[in-house]
Amino acid sequence: MTTLAGRLRAIPTWQVTLGLALFALGFLIAAQLAAEGPRVRYTTQERSPLVGTALELQQKQVELRAQIVTLGEDIQALQDEGEGTTAIVRQLNDRLEAARIAAGLIPLSGPGLVLSLSDSTQAIPADGSEADYLVTARDIRTVVAELWLASAEAIAVNGERVTTSTGVLDIGHSILVNSAYLAPPYRVSAIGPQDLLDQLGLSQGWREFIQTRAGRFGLEITFAEPEVVAVPQFAGGLNLRESRVVPPESPSP
Amino acid sequence: MTASLGAPRSQAIVAAVAFLLGLLVVVQIRSQAGNNTLAGMSSQDLTFLVANLNTRNDQLRREIATLQSQLATLESGGSLGASSVNELRAEIDRIRAWAGLDPVRGRGITITVSGPIAASAVEDLVNELKNAGAEAISIEDIRVVPQTVIGGVAGSLSVDDTALGESFTIRAIGTPETLTGSLARAGGIIAQLAATDPAARIDVEEASRMILPATTRNLAPSHGRPRA
Repeated sequence: MTTLAGRLRAIPTWQVTLGLALFALGFLIAAQLAAEGPRVRYTTQERSPLVGTALELQQKQVELRAQIVTLGEDIQALQDEGEGTTAIVRQLNDRLEAARIAAGLIPLSGPGLVLSLSDSTQAIPADGSEADYLVTARDIRTVVAELWLASAEAIAVNGERVTTSTGVLDIGHSILVNSAYLAPPYRVSAIGPQDLLDQLGLSQGWREFIQTRAGRFGLEITFAEPEVVAVPQFAGGLNLRESRVVPPESPSP
Repeated sequence: MTASLGAPRSQAIVAAVAFLLGLLVVVQIRSQAGNNTLAGMSSQDLTFLVANLNTRNDQLRREIATLQSQLATLESGGSLGASSVNELRAEIDRIRAWAGLDPVRGRGITITVSGPIAASAVEDLVNELKNAGAEAISIEDIRVVPQTVIGGVAGSLSVDDTALGESFTIRAIGTPETLTGSLARAGGIIAQLAATDPAARIDVEEASRMILPATTRNLAPSHGRPRA
């Protein structure tokens, strides 16, 4: 016994460290392989074909959006080249730039704040509803509305720019914003005046929201005020199939 | 021969193992996080998601076609001629109409809301219209833009500081059948509001032509700057 203890003590520390690390490594490799196995089975045999379709469509959406951003950049570069040509083209380019900024088609940066919302980690009481302990689409809409009321001028949720066509809805335990599938934590980035957070704190609606959703149901809501907040451009389609621009009223004869 | 942790070879071995360990921890965490999203959805949710993604991808393809056409015109050297000027004007019109900066006309639906209703219920209606593909929305004569917020309590609501009466209309341009179908489907927003706001009455009518006004808001940012 004494000999065994003596031998154990004689093992160099680095060998013990290495041994432990190798043990953890082996454990993780086994865990990874074990996790991969059922997932493959699930994908190919048990999971509904809908999941596969949804994954393919999501991937396609990412590609299409990237293509729109690239095309927009190429068009802007060519239009910038043409800026110095004639006064009318310069003027139109300026109007186009202003319209794109107002529409949310140009990324912005500036002062503001970033709010983060995560699902509650509290135990759900027997008579409680699970939905109350999750961040819902309505929570996101409330946060966005309160930020607008506090004078925010550009907002994005997990990188999805909030525009005139943005809908936010629940799907399963996650949320769709601009038809993009988002999972918690939800980061709401807002550009606005330097006192955006103070303005938000003055709102009765915001205080009630915090009291109910964070205080009562335990949603984790945190905020940060980075020096510069970046909000990306809307990378989607401008859906105008039924709408026509109303021409300005011609002057009365 | 003895080795200690201070020896370079031992340090390299420990570093390599630690690196692999870190890598596997990250892979494991990421794979677990990604796995519990779609897998936990019901078939109904998945069907909805697939339909939504299909519609959205079709919109994206149309947008790509529009942008490719613009790019082709610019690349063909039209940037100095009348075609470029026309192209620029058309693009300005398109963006301004979409953003709510200009009035637009088209077919769509008119929703008449009568009786006391919560502000959040009206927000839900507007949100449902956006999800259903409405191209432009107005509440009474106020064009809905991102900053539009409905406030007040049931019976005395306001939009952008303009009071709404006991009865008011929400108008939306878009395919009437799609918009109506989305609002009125079983378990849809109108059915939900009938349960949460029973005193309110919601009527939907298709309209072959309507004109929605431009927003009166200034949408130009004063704190944010375009990023290069």
